Amino acid sequence: MRSEEEARRAIDLYADTVRRICMIHLKNYADTEDIFQTVFLKYVLHTAPFDSPEHEKAWIIRVTINACRDLLRNVFRNRTVSLDQLIEKPQDMPESCSELLEAVLSLPAKYRDVIYLHYYEGYTAPEISGILKKNINTVYTLLTRARKLLKNRLEGGDGE
Amino acid sequence: MNRDFNNELNTDLKNAFGHIHAENALKERTKDYLSQKIYNHTPRWKTGFSLHLFRKTTVFRHTAALTACLIALLFIGGSWVFMTPTAFISIDINPSLELGINRFNRIVSIRGYNEDGEELAGSLDIRFMDYDAALVSLLDSQELESYLSPDALITFTVAGDSEAQYNEIFECVESCADGRSDIQCHSGDMSEMQNAHEAGLSFGKYRAYLILKEFDSSVTPDDIRDLTMRELYDLIDSYSDSSESENISSADSCSGSTDQENRSQEDRSQEDRSRGSRSQGSRHHGNTGQESGRHSHK
Repeated sequence: MRSEEEARRAIDLYADTVRRICMIHLKNYADTEDIFQTVFLKYVLHTAPFDSPEHEKAWIIRVTINACRDLLRNVFRNRTVSLDQLIEKPQDMPESCSELLEAVLSLPAKYRDVIYLHYYEGYTAPEISGILKKNINTVYTLLTRARKLLKNRLEGGDGE
Repeated sequence: MNRDFNNELNTDLKNAFGHIHAENALKERTKDYLSQKIYNHTPRWKTGFSLHLFRKTTVFRHTAALTACLIALLFIGGSWVFMTPTAFISIDINPSLELGINRFNRIVSIRGYNEDGEELAGSLDIRFMDYDAALVSLLDSQELESYLSPDALITFTVAGDSEAQYNEIFECVESCADGRSDIQCHSGDMSEMQNAHEAGLSFGKYRAYLILKEFDSSVTPDDIRDLTMRELYDLIDSYSDSSESENISSADSCSGSTDQENRSQEDRSQEDRSRGSRSQGSRHHGNTGQESGRHSHK
């Protein structure tokens, strides 16, 4: 079991990352709080050492994505999500940013992860394949399709 | 163009996601959660946390499992108490039938001891009735009626573990027989009943078999299984009368036997009843009913 200091350090360090993944998967704040508790509880219980800070971060990302999936897979949960509900706007952000995030959130879940990991976290396709436990070519395909979908949405939106 | 879009997307997404931060309140709540759930309540030994989890989830499961076991045990125990007969009434005409009565005076088993008995047992709907109501409905039933020839004899034989319950049942049986000359009441005991079941007879019939065996040792349970009680007691009477006649006078023995056979039905049932009450008395003294019955005949 990790010490309380380690836990606090990890929360300070990775809270934003976990929060962003929660935002692209979850529809409400209560669920986000659940995920925070689950992820950092797992972190505290995970006693195997990490090779590097990158390894630790990748571990946190993987655990967060899996926790979000588990939460959404729960049969007792209402899975139908309207876009209005889906998009949380907890922070002040320019309209262009929120439009872009809206477009990302309108993508199917499998594309959201790769978009976030590739464009924001800067992971390459092989690294993403390691985190998501997916074939590299699948990741490439997902990235290409996600990009195409986003382009259509953003340009379509501009055209209107 | 695609590359341009890609670069643009890269910058824009970085910018957009960069605006997303975990709220301080969220971080603090998560820290509080961990410190409350884990660190503040950490037991002194190393495995404390797993013990804590154990407390949270497993204690509930264990309690639920224990409760379920307890309920199951209570149910099994309850049904055992309810379904175990503590007293028996053997009803013999020609159908031989045994009713098992539990400690709550309800009929929990109905068993036929010959073909007619099984048929009658199958047609009766008296399971879980109070035995007194069941006896009344049995005596009034159409099913029983079909077995009652004009001179049929019905014997009720009672055996039980508990003295109080036995006495209560015997009184009830006697009150059912009251005013009916075709019903006799006897008492048996549980060990006699065991022997009867080993021989494949109801214990009402087994009593008669034991009496008969005193006179004719070649008689087997199979010989008498399908005889009616009237036939059995006629047979016993014929033996006992002939032996009495032999004792009194060898010259009168034949006519004596004939006279005895012509006795009225009421006389016979009276004698049988007295035999029954004697055997009830003998039960308390540890003798079998048939022994005292035999002595009374000799």
